[in-house]
Amino acid sequence: MSNWLSGAIARGEQVDDWLSPRRQLSLALLRESPWPTRKTEAWKYTPLRAIESAQLAPVAAVAAPANELAGVIEGSIDLTFVDGLLQSIEGLAVPEGIVISALDAASQSQQDWALAGFSAIKPERHLFGLVNDVLARQGVIIDVAAGAKIDRAIHVTHLFSAGQEAHTRILLRMGEGARATLVEHFQGSELSINTGFTECDVAAEAQLEHYRFALQTGAALSVGGCHFKLGDRAQLNSTVIGFGSNLSRLDVDIIHAGERAHAKLNALYLLDGDELFDLHSTVEHSAAFGTTVENVSGIAAGRSKAVFNGRIHIHRHAQKTLAELNNRNLLMSNRAQINTKPELEIYADDVRCAHGATVAALDTTALFYLQSRGISRDQAQILLSFGFINELVEQMPCQLLADWLRPQLRQRFALMEVQ
Amino acid sequence: MLSIKNLHASVEEKNILKGFDLEIKPGEVHAIMGPNGAGKSTLGYVVSGREGYQVETGTVTLGGVDLLSMEAEERARAGLFLAFQYPVEIPGVSNLEFLKAAVDAQRSARDEPELSSRDFLKLAREACAQVDLPVAFLKRGVNEGFSGGEKKRNEIMQMILLQPKLCILDESDSGLDIDALQVVAEGVNSQRCPERSFIIITHYQRLLDYIKPDFVHVLADGKIVKSGDASLAHQLEQEGYTWLHSEPEGSGQ
Repeated sequence: MSNWLSGAIARGEQVDDWLSPRRQLSLALLRESPWPTRKTEAWKYTPLRAIESAQLAPVAAVAAPANELAGVIEGSIDLTFVDGLLQSIEGLAVPEGIVISALDAASQSQQDWALAGFSAIKPERHLFGLVNDVLARQGVIIDVAAGAKIDRAIHVTHLFSAGQEAHTRILLRMGEGARATLVEHFQGSELSINTGFTECDVAAEAQLEHYRFALQTGAALSVGGCHFKLGDRAQLNSTVIGFGSNLSRLDVDIIHAGERAHAKLNALYLLDGDELFDLHSTVEHSAAFGTTVENVSGIAAGRSKAVFNGRIHIHRHAQKTLAELNNRNLLMSNRAQINTKPELEIYADDVRCAHGATVAALDTTALFYLQSRGISRDQAQILLSFGFINELVEQMPCQLLADWLRPQLRQRFALMEVQ
Repeated sequence: MLSIKNLHASVEEKNILKGFDLEIKPGEVHAIMGPNGAGKSTLGYVVSGREGYQVETGTVTLGGVDLLSMEAEERARAGLFLAFQYPVEIPGVSNLEFLKAAVDAQRSARDEPELSSRDFLKLAREACAQVDLPVAFLKRGVNEGFSGGEKKRNEIMQMILLQPKLCILDESDSGLDIDALQVVAEGVNSQRCPERSFIIITHYQRLLDYIKPDFVHVLADGKIVKSGDASLAHQLEQEGYTWLHSEPEGSGQ
């Protein structure tokens, strides 16, 4: 057991609030959990040394970074966590059909469903999920009423500054036929540790548009999760963007609990320098007629490392499932690393599934084609790399976010260390 | 304009061009014909600077400037254009973005300011109309999902936008039906002028019915073995290339 984990457990023992009965369960599991090593399958390629050795000391009078996405999504309902502390949401104007409350200010009825829903979707196997169960005193509960169509995006920003540790939790419940958009945005580049876990219960025929912009960079150490449960005919369209940092790990779980649900998960990562981004996704098809389309594309330059593990598990009764998983990678340097592992586990006999993973360098014919038109080699590389992932940006339902993201991606390309 | 002297070039250590000579004056159209494997496409790639095409000896100059010491993009900026036999599909990069990057790169090499998006769009639309491509193609990924004919027309559109001095058309007629062939030919003919020269690489005389060449050369085994006027193309169409093996090398030059 690492010092950091023992410390987290000790701190967790001190937490006392209305979630304590639930936290105790996770605390018990956590005490039994070994600290991952290279032999731990889920952490095989992602060392946790950086967390073990992090010397966190809050730096006095350092302002949190400015929110780069502020004002980008027109009319968004904005919530901001600075170093894990929710900035006051008193007086937050929200449309009819949605209730948003701080975890530490939840009403009795909210506490009732939140207690039942807390950690009900997120699987127990996520070590840092357990840490978050125990330590996340700050968070928000979002309740979207059945049939409510919330046009304004819920935009939750997490800003991290030097020396801080932050643990935050989001619980989203969508009633039958509800519609909502949740944008989760993480940002910070100084040495800090954060866990941010989100659980979304998407009831029958509800539609959730979701974004996880894991844009923490540099020395920020971040482990998080997005966990979705889909009811009958529910629809999820989720986009994950990762820039990579000293440690960035995200676990995405999608559970097809109801029949005929549809999940789309697109993920992009762009890594340079010594950055690491690790995406583990698990899609559980527990009910029949579900569909999943998962496209994961990434670029690794410099000495960066990308890890992708994509598992699709089709249970015995999940007949007529359609599932597709693609992971495409572009290696921009011979010192960059990509570890990819798509896994299909199929126990139903009438399903259609496909998966594939590729790792390649830029197509030399395409490079020559662009150069033969007068475009410099450097610019041609940027154009091609950008095109490689722009295919997924084009698919983002929110045009405003896509328009904001494109120049960010271009800028990252322009600075990439290519060999 | 273009002067190629005693060019020897290899690909993967295999000699393909073996003493190729060609002189092209401004405004001339030269057709290069020849059997498969003679080195026609290699010629286009060597002159335009594709990686992996090794020049052993010889010189290639455009307007007196040495091309062989330049990168591919520098050759393009010096006025060279190669219309690809198999234009490349690049999903995620829009045709418009690609074309503007190319035009801007060439303008900036001439110390001209970049075009505004609006001015460029106007030019691109006109070029589309000239080769009968719907304007919607500008928004699509480069050649992505284009039919064979659309890809070839896209090549000609790029040529019209870039206004090169020397154009090499590598089998721009292959895979085209008669209507598409005419569109391609009209696009090329509209660009013929006293300052601009063309090399038209083709298997068939068909394209040359629409683009009248000043000279026709037969390329076989890495060099030109016969040269003549447009009538040579008709002769080749009737007789094929088998006569090459029965005549002594270099005859007719």
